[in-house]
Amino acid sequence: MIGKFKKQVKTLFVDKNSTFVSVEGHVNIILSPSFYWVKKVSLPVKYLRDVKALLPSLFEDILPPKNYSYSAYKYEDEYFIFAYEDKMILDSLAEKGISASQIKAVHFAQSEFFEIDGPIEIDTEQTLFKKDDILMLLPSSWFDESQDINLNELKLSKQSITLKQFSHIVDDKTLFKISALVLIFILVIAAEYFITQEKVQDISKKQEALFSKYKLQSTMFQNKAMFKELNSKYKKQMLLRRYMATVLKLSLESKQKLVLVELKGNKLKLAFSGEKEGLERLIFKQLKVQSIHYSAKYKKNTLYVELSL
Amino acid sequence: MNKINPLHIGLLLIVLLVFMIFQLSKVKTELGQEKDTYNQTRTLALDLYGLKKVYTNKQQIQKSINRILRLSALRSAKIEKKLTRSGVILSSLSMDKYAVNAFMSKILNGSYMIYSMKIKKLDANKVALKVEIRW
Repeated sequence: MIGKFKKQVKTLFVDKNSTFVSVEGHVNIILSPSFYWVKKVSLPVKYLRDVKALLPSLFEDILPPKNYSYSAYKYEDEYFIFAYEDKMILDSLAEKGISASQIKAVHFAQSEFFEIDGPIEIDTEQTLFKKDDILMLLPSSWFDESQDINLNELKLSKQSITLKQFSHIVDDKTLFKISALVLIFILVIAAEYFITQEKVQDISKKQEALFSKYKLQSTMFQNKAMFKELNSKYKKQMLLRRYMATVLKLSLESKQKLVLVELKGNKLKLAFSGEKEGLERLIFKQLKVQSIHYSAKYKKNTLYVELSL
Repeated sequence: MNKINPLHIGLLLIVLLVFMIFQLSKVKTELGQEKDTYNQTRTLALDLYGLKKVYTNKQQIQKSINRILRLSALRSAKIEKKLTRSGVILSSLSMDKYAVNAFMSKILNGSYMIYSMKIKKLDANKVALKVEIRW
């Protein structure tokens, strides 16, 4: 049986035997005792968080080995402790037409019907009954009188749980460990990111410093153009000096004379006086040894040689 | 079920991790590019600085030429110096072979931008010379 609670958010009591229900929007769920195990225990601990750490061991002996989630709340000087299977509950709710995304809050019948006295009939076969402060399901036939379940006047307690969809795959502890590891990675990468960004900014500053130190033009295009022009002049000057060194090293015979050296544009013109054969043999040989390209003509007892720079 | 699912937090962290790795890779690439650009600029700056210092420093070139012209070996050559907007023209109508040797060795061994040059033999010992140096 599924009871309905007419408020902005409906409240449904769900038992394993509940039938399919069409639900629109969000709902609060009250779980029947058929979905969980409950104990009332007295423990020598002060805080609820200390109790939570002990929960698996408190159920260890009575439950078959499965993936359980645990919950607890304090009642007077004692604690109500719970064990439940998230996947089993979610699957059961899904079978009854309630998807995980529709569930606003999940409560235990133990906390929600604790204050109600007397048996509460949830369907023709089962009745909720409190014995030694524990709410349990008993056959309805055992009771002569019982009250119907009424969710309209029920005010939900603050005791609720969150059903974990993947708790059967990975438990919270492992998930937190992995998350912590991922978080550490993120922090390391973030640190590396900021350090690298600092380095980028440092290099940008150094680059600006280069411009002012060496009085460069404002754009690299201008600087490259200027370098190209000066470098071409530098190469031409080096070539001129190499050619001049070769020419000045020529060992001419007594009748052979260097009578003209002229640099005009990209041409170095040389004029030698003397006999044609002798001059050509000597000069051409030297120029060839130095891999210098030349053009030459002999005119009026003078050999004119032209070298390109 | 309004509470945040730890699995969602885990997934969010993984997405954040992937995003950070992507950002880091981007900034690393940027750093590599910046380093390359810096090295190229530095090389260019040093080369350009050296070339400009040698070829475009008008005052330095003038000082250096004046030093050459004051050489005792060149006194007899009567080398004329004529400044132009872009350089200096040095000329002598007649100078002996020792003077021309001294002058040319200084000019050729120095870092001057020789724009034009004419050395013409006049007789066994004399030459006429004209050299234009630019900056």
